[in-house]
Amino acid sequence: MWIDLVILLAKIAVVFAGIMTGAFVLTWAERKQSALMADRIGANRCAILGIKLWGLINSLADALKLIFKEDFLPPKGLRVLHAIAPIFAMFPVFVTFAVLPFGPPLQIAGKEIPLQILTLDIGLLYILAFGGMAVYGVMLAGWASNNKYSLLGGMRGSAQMISYEIIIGLSLIGPVMVFGTLDPGRMVVAQNDLLWGWLPKWGIIVQPLAFLLFLPAAMAETKRAPFDLPEGESEIIGFSLEYSGMRWGMFFLGEFAEIVVLGAVMATVFFGGYQVPYLFSGAEAASLPGFHFPWGGYLPLGEWWIVALRVLSFGFKVLCLMWLQMQIRWTFPRFRYDQLMRVSWREMMPLALANIAVTGIVIMLVSR
Amino acid sequence: MIPVSLTDIQGVLPETIVVIAALAVIMADAIRRGHSGALLPVLSVLGLAAAGAAAIFLWGTSGTVFNGTVFADGFASFFKVLFTVIGILTILFSPHYLKITGVRLGEYYALILTAVFGMMVMASAANLLMLYLGLETMSISLYVLAGSQRGDVKSAEAGMKYLVLGAFSSAFLLYGIALLFASIGSLDYEVIGTFFASDFHPGPLLVSGLALLMVGFAFKVAAVPFHFWSPDVYDGAPTTVTGFMSTGPKAAAFVALIRVFGVALAPASSLWSGVLTVLAILTMTVGNVVAIRQTSVKRMLAYSAIAHAGYLLVGIVAGTKAAFAATGYYLSAYALMNLGAFAVLILLNRRDEGSYRFEDLRGMGFAHPLLGITLSVFLLSLTGVPPTAGFFGKLYIFSAAVEQGHIVLAVVGLLNSAVGAYYYLRVITLLYMAKPEGESIIVQPAAYRFALVISALLILVIGIFPEQLLRVITLAVP
Amino acid sequence: MDSSVFDNNLIRFLFLFGAAGGLVAFFVALSAWLGPKSMNETKAEPFETGMIPKTDARRPFPIKYYLVAIVFIVFDVEVAFLYPWAVEFRNLGAAGFISMMIFLVILLVGLFYAVRKRVFEWK
Repeated sequence: MWIDLVILLAKIAVVFAGIMTGAFVLTWAERKQSALMADRIGANRCAILGIKLWGLINSLADALKLIFKEDFLPPKGLRVLHAIAPIFAMFPVFVTFAVLPFGPPLQIAGKEIPLQILTLDIGLLYILAFGGMAVYGVMLAGWASNNKYSLLGGMRGSAQMISYEIIIGLSLIGPVMVFGTLDPGRMVVAQNDLLWGWLPKWGIIVQPLAFLLFLPAAMAETKRAPFDLPEGESEIIGFSLEYSGMRWGMFFLGEFAEIVVLGAVMATVFFGGYQVPYLFSGAEAASLPGFHFPWGGYLPLGEWWIVALRVLSFGFKVLCLMWLQMQIRWTFPRFRYDQLMRVSWREMMPLALANIAVTGIVIMLVSR
Repeated sequence: MIPVSLTDIQGVLPETIVVIAALAVIMADAIRRGHSGALLPVLSVLGLAAAGAAAIFLWGTSGTVFNGTVFADGFASFFKVLFTVIGILTILFSPHYLKITGVRLGEYYALILTAVFGMMVMASAANLLMLYLGLETMSISLYVLAGSQRGDVKSAEAGMKYLVLGAFSSAFLLYGIALLFASIGSLDYEVIGTFFASDFHPGPLLVSGLALLMVGFAFKVAAVPFHFWSPDVYDGAPTTVTGFMSTGPKAAAFVALIRVFGVALAPASSLWSGVLTVLAILTMTVGNVVAIRQTSVKRMLAYSAIAHAGYLLVGIVAGTKAAFAATGYYLSAYALMNLGAFAVLILLNRRDEGSYRFEDLRGMGFAHPLLGITLSVFLLSLTGVPPTAGFFGKLYIFSAAVEQGHIVLAVVGLLNSAVGAYYYLRVITLLYMAKPEGESIIVQPAAYRFALVISALLILVIGIFPEQLLRVITLAVP
Repeated sequence: MDSSVFDNNLIRFLFLFGAAGGLVAFFVALSAWLGPKSMNETKAEPFETGMIPKTDARRPFPIKYYLVAIVFIVFDVEVAFLYPWAVEFRNLGAAGFISMMIFLVILLVGLFYAVRKRVFEWK
């Protein structure tokens, strides 16, 4: 009984700590990566007793600054809505991760402990539901500030986010059809199968178009370049104009946390989750745990090694996908607003629907 | 999921054709971006004609399809044909009207088609939820149609009023359906029928459900005291739409009334027939009395439409097969005469502001013989003068009521017809007994004249040979 | 295996919500407690890039946003219909596939219509 509570709290702590650390490191990585790409030196000024930790101290200083800044509530705006808007930006992101398995179920003393907080049959819908909540933060912030720029930024942001939410929803239909489940846990298990005996059945291999649609749509949901029109950091002023201090920081902490969570969602749906190709546990491969290579080779591994490898593989995949998002963010210039809407509705939407139709036809032909 | 069979598809063939036509019209309008000329009305008429043909082809089938939620019987087929006729006539009148009012809305035709689709679904629904779906499809199309003359304040007001009150009444209906479902456990008419045929206990849930259902229907057919929306909406909406709205949806609502109250709830008639009797008397009387005092012909016809709903309610109260057949006959006749009357009014209205004053009609009968004669036929039929169809409609309905012992209803109905004669015949007197004021040139497009002549002829034909049509409907009545 | 109340998803969900809510509340409270407070008339004005605001921000804004929102609702409902269908796809067979394709085609006509009516074109 109590051990269950401890396990639950430990899992929550691990997930939250993971997201927070990820977001924290991302603020640093973003500067370092942009500096590298622009041939600059980047964050390197802050130091404690001369220790700079490659600029990591800068992120610490940022956090301190945000905490000790004035928390401004516009007296002419709607103060309550203004106060709760950042909560909508951050809360859903943290909750979303709960349905994603970050490792295989553990077997300890006859007890199975799944490495995910919530084992939900409708996990993907849960992700979509809470992902969709983020739009409220932008809307409320824009509306409650009583500032014309904020309002327009909020409207732009919400129109953009709802447009791309449709694409997210439609692009995930394909993988759901292939794997026949909405449960991320079972989806990951299904992705360890091999196509034609040698190709891992990862989401990106069976549904490449879905991934190509999901990635930009998800990046548009994070409101970051090249989709940063709600809050163009360099020159547009947007929905967070009337925010300061930590409540301003929460919007951006939420954004960075969203990068982590999206990386995890993509890893789960399209990159086999915690799976390592050809690695099977004893329960999956006739009590012969280890690597079963397609050419017949077999490399035995202990069960605990397999668990460790899988957890690490999930972490590695999430890191890679985070890096990918960063790379895109610093490579491409911003869309114009008309292009943004056109790409979503006129180009991605028909593609997503076509993907569903083609997937359906292929599945019916194969299963015949 | 229950697999869909070919029989299912065949059962809803007319609906399918109408939907395909509607989609084609939307696509054509979108591709041509409003510069489509005669393409849209031609497409719509072709689609409706094909749907009507399909409905005639389905004549003689019986039973239900789609897992017992949709009737594929003669009664549905008959009304589907009627709806396509109403749709075709409306569309024939429309291009001219849209031109003179300056409405350039390709969606107009698509919306008429979707409204017809909704009516068809209502007519063939064998399940309360299916009925609701049809009703909403029809109503939402009509809300937009009523407000489609966007530059006109009255039209915008009509659209808004219709939307708000229509949504209100739909909510009543839906709530009633929900309560019925809560107490019966099924939405199928058949199950509801067997429930009421057995020894049931009229608990508060059941009775309030029935009451809400009745209120919802009363709103939709504009029965007094739930009629307040209809004069303003009929008056403000574009006149072709008014003609369409006062005929098609009314017919659809009455089919649903016959199927729900007349058939499924018939064993429980002691619960509702009294209320419906009062509604019928009120509706007839208020509609007719208020119609007398109108200064606009369009508004007068709007109130008289309320009165006609009252006559039709008598048929539901009478509750026999003959009464339902009479209601079907009356609905067909009413559709032709009301639509025609509105169409002639459009041509005779000489002012741009859409006022439709009585003075405009002065002496028009001699100046424009065709319009004068057709309008006279429509009005005589609305009055109920033999040998027009309107006379036999009333005759059949009232004799069915008398047979069932509803003498009071029949007497009130007859008295009201006499009241109606006063204001209808006043128009005819104006047409022929006065001198026209100055010269007037009225453009009469060929399609328009064709549609007018056809409607008037049909009224006379089914008026002179009423037995044939009545026999056809009687065969189909459930 | 002995079951416990913590196997219940709802209980876990409550804990998760509590934890996330606590974290968020902590951030909000931190800034509110530790930050300085000062207010004056100029600061109370909405910041409009140095211009003195003349009117309230509650003003009409382009109807395009409304159109996008309406189209969003239509297609979001479509997506909601698609999910259960996608899960059961294999069991529904060809009839299920064709039914859904008809549904999609009807909605595609709507999308086409919206595109041609320039709902998604911004100046």
